[in-house]
Amino acid sequence: MDRLVFEAAAAVTIVFAALMVLSRNPVHSVLSLVVAFFSLAICYVLLFAPFIAVIQVIVYAGAILVLFLFVLMLLNVGRERPEKTGHPIQTLLSGVGIVLFAGFLLSTLRQSVTSAPRALAGEPNVLGKPEALAREFFGGYLLHFEAVSVLLLAALVGAFVLARRESHREPRG
Amino acid sequence: MTLLDWTILVLRVALPALILPAIVTPLVWVERRVAAFIQDRPGPNRVGPFGLLQSPADILKLFMKEEVVPANVDRFLFFLAPGLAVFAALSTFAVIPYGSTIHIDGRDIPLLGADVSIGLLYVFAITSISVYAIVLAGWSSNDKFSLMGGIRSSAQIISYELAMTAAAAGVILATGSFRLNDVVGHQEGTWLGFVPRWNVFVQPLGFLIFYVSAFAETNRLPFDLPEAEPELVAGYHTEYSAMHFGSYFLAEYINVIVASAMTATLYFGGWSLPGFHPTGILGAAASIAIFAAKTAFFVLVFIWVRWTLPRFRYDQLMKLGWKALLPLSLVNLFWAAAVEMWRMGTR
Repeated sequence: MDRLVFEAAAAVTIVFAALMVLSRNPVHSVLSLVVAFFSLAICYVLLFAPFIAVIQVIVYAGAILVLFLFVLMLLNVGRERPEKTGHPIQTLLSGVGIVLFAGFLLSTLRQSVTSAPRALAGEPNVLGKPEALAREFFGGYLLHFEAVSVLLLAALVGAFVLARRESHREPRG
Repeated sequence: MTLLDWTILVLRVALPALILPAIVTPLVWVERRVAAFIQDRPGPNRVGPFGLLQSPADILKLFMKEEVVPANVDRFLFFLAPGLAVFAALSTFAVIPYGSTIHIDGRDIPLLGADVSIGLLYVFAITSISVYAIVLAGWSSNDKFSLMGGIRSSAQIISYELAMTAAAAGVILATGSFRLNDVVGHQEGTWLGFVPRWNVFVQPLGFLIFYVSAFAETNRLPFDLPEAEPELVAGYHTEYSAMHFGSYFLAEYINVIVASAMTATLYFGGWSLPGFHPTGILGAAASIAIFAAKTAFFVLVFIWVRWTLPRFRYDQLMKLGWKALLPLSLVNLFWAAAVEMWRMGTR
């Protein structure tokens, strides 16, 4: 039963991730990504990591993508027009890229095929519980955790400074 | 699992989901009658005794009305959005404990949909999804008033969600668990023999921030900017008609009930009362009644405030959210942490 739900959620994730790239309408792209994040959260729940699942929905689907949508609506971005294929070198390079990526993907898949079902069937992952996660964050990895928070703060201040400077340069009228 | 276990599970999950929309019908009548009382007029009193059948008649009308779909709307999203609004409103209730645990034949049946370790976070996750229902309605309608309403709403809900989450974090800090049944259990008993151990007495500021933010999250007056009638016609649902329009009303009222239930659970002891130890079916029924009474009180305050306060201006709304509620919620968090440190020291 769990296995079936997991596979269904995984399939939905992949389909909507593809739709995100393929759809011409940027708003539809954002929404496909929301669905993909949701089904990914279901996968997390089935892998005994409910905390990560919920944080994923709150942070990505609930905050970041809403901001994306917000910007798209403010700018009123229209449909993407299909582009003619460019220079032959571009086509060649993208072909090489696809082959390389497929290679990486296959080698990763071969490892995970042996480990993922075990995680699905095995004992509840201790790390998925909020208590255990907190103990790791605020115990063993406290320094890393604080370093990341300082980094995020620096990024926030940086974004703020850049945005302010931009608005000063804007011609008035 | 046996058939009986499945039946119990289905009842426990499905009953609240079915009862909530049913409560909305009389709730609309209550809101209109209270509004009339506050404005010193009779209110709906013609259809049925005391006008009680006015709401069912209105709902019937909404179902029978012609659906008008404007040209140039994004049809799929246009019809998806109201459904999403109702779905998000209903599924929040899944983790709220509406009664005590029943023990029958060695079975423990907790009276809530799902007793998960991330209860409160789940509520915030679903709340953040409900933004989409409004934003999508605004965008897919292809109408400038709807779009403005949708944009306002997304900014408003994101802003107030921060203060709301930070205020609730104080409760989580005191409880040491995201599980809402643990939050209720933590508030059982009394201090000095007469003051209930409710979180509201330890964190009054946190309660105030949470409740004020709940008004903004549910788009109720004085924060109903997304549908401000004088400026935006009806905001994000301007273009909707018939029951798709009704869906937004349904979702709004369910959200009001859920927000009140959350307030009662987080700050007023949920289904518990000091000196009350539920046993058997009767005890469970009493605990449900206590929970319903506390929730009903906060729903009434929602209605009372709506007909008492005027609407905020948009910049005032944003200023209140970011410059007052958010810093205050951080103060509350420090206070909660200090209380917890002191408690650990005295233990």
